[in-house]
Amino acid sequence: MKANPKLQAVRAVRQELAELGIDPFGVQIERIISPTEGLIDGRSTILAGTNNYLGLTFDPDCIAAARNALETAGTGTTGSRMANGSYAGHRELELEFARYFGKRDAIVFSTGYQANLGMISALAGPDDIVMIDADSHASIYDGCRLSGANTLRFRHNDPEDLAKRLRRLGSGAENALIVVEGVYSMLGDRAPLREFVDVKNRFGATLMLDEAHSLGVLGDRGRGLAEEAGVLDDVDYVVGTFSKSLGNTGGFCVSDSAEMDVLRYASRPYVFTASLPPATIAATRQALHTLADARHLRQRLRDNAEHLHAGLGALGFRLGAPPNAVVAVLLGDKLQALRFWDHLLKHGVYVNLMVPPATPNGESLLRCSISAAHTPEQIDAILAAFGSWTGAKE
Amino acid sequence: MNHQDIVAQLVEILTPLAEGRATAIDAGTELTGELALDSLKVMDLMLAVEDQFDISVPINALANVRTVGDLASTIGKTLGESA
Repeated sequence: MKANPKLQAVRAVRQELAELGIDPFGVQIERIISPTEGLIDGRSTILAGTNNYLGLTFDPDCIAAARNALETAGTGTTGSRMANGSYAGHRELELEFARYFGKRDAIVFSTGYQANLGMISALAGPDDIVMIDADSHASIYDGCRLSGANTLRFRHNDPEDLAKRLRRLGSGAENALIVVEGVYSMLGDRAPLREFVDVKNRFGATLMLDEAHSLGVLGDRGRGLAEEAGVLDDVDYVVGTFSKSLGNTGGFCVSDSAEMDVLRYASRPYVFTASLPPATIAATRQALHTLADARHLRQRLRDNAEHLHAGLGALGFRLGAPPNAVVAVLLGDKLQALRFWDHLLKHGVYVNLMVPPATPNGESLLRCSISAAHTPEQIDAILAAFGSWTGAKE
Repeated sequence: MNHQDIVAQLVEILTPLAEGRATAIDAGTELTGELALDSLKVMDLMLAVEDQFDISVPINALANVRTVGDLASTIGKTLGESA
């Protein structure tokens, strides 16, 4: 079979990595030991790039709930939510999400990616306008593409730039859907959400907020940046994922909209996907229950993030944002970042390597995501690995 | 504003972004080919273009834009629609 020319760019990157003998995108965890430790290349490795913010993947209550569901309801639903794939637990989880957020209703999706895809494409169509932050996650860009809507970008975390672009739309602004994220996954920086809400209200537009990296992390009850900023009532749609703080796989949207039950049927990523397995639903219900009262875990997470952030700063690294569960070390040069990433792995620390075009401003970065389950000794070990790098820090 | 005026303004915006990769930028210059602008740079370019011409150009309107001239045509069409 002849080589597919569409794959040429990806093939070139793979070839470049193969020549260097470093493969940051093909890491295999041979054995997972705990939320913060795994065996990689035969070496015990601290996992500092997993988004497992509260460390719930090994929570005994979640495991017990999953085991019970697995044994009583089987391994999978083998169908869409719209057909045979809606069990009582799926709807109960939706109602629990709605209650937790104090919203009218919720929809559960099979992944967080699909939650963005499903909501944006159900809310907007070819004659509509979606305004997105320039640094939006790929799932938001892809959701816009699937919707066929006219997609306009505004400068990252810049409410005035959004206002300027809404003003250009004239009366069309009140029909625009604005999409922002609570915390941006690459640098860990937060949206100026109150200011975005002000702009949204000023123009009468609709606001959707992705709390993927802030659910469980921010807010007294862990309801994300909207709770922390006191604007939960002003956000029309909150989207999130189970695959970070909730320690599982799946996605959701909560809203006060009376049309949620219509929206789900208008959402192709909801309709044409098998629903989540019973064990996933059961473990997520337990994790959500735990999340609301997990103030001690949020505190430990904050302590760990501040510990790592301060330590990396003291070592002279350039950091992406103030202390948060995501701590990004900025390194301009891609090759340098690649070698540094490999150095950390060989010193028993796994972090995420991020390179352009996935990153803002053409930066390459080493992205650490911190967990409440990291011990202070593990944070010290991460710092020691960073500190042992003798190459450039820019 | 005619097509040539738009191209001239685009050349001004593009020159610093091109970082000397093309000796002369004109209507036939390819954005991603000759100027080697990656997807992010094209997006940054569009934010600047929208501000320069005070228009809105959706991402999806750029699917068939290959050259500076193509972009100028898209801008001209948008200016015509908003006039």
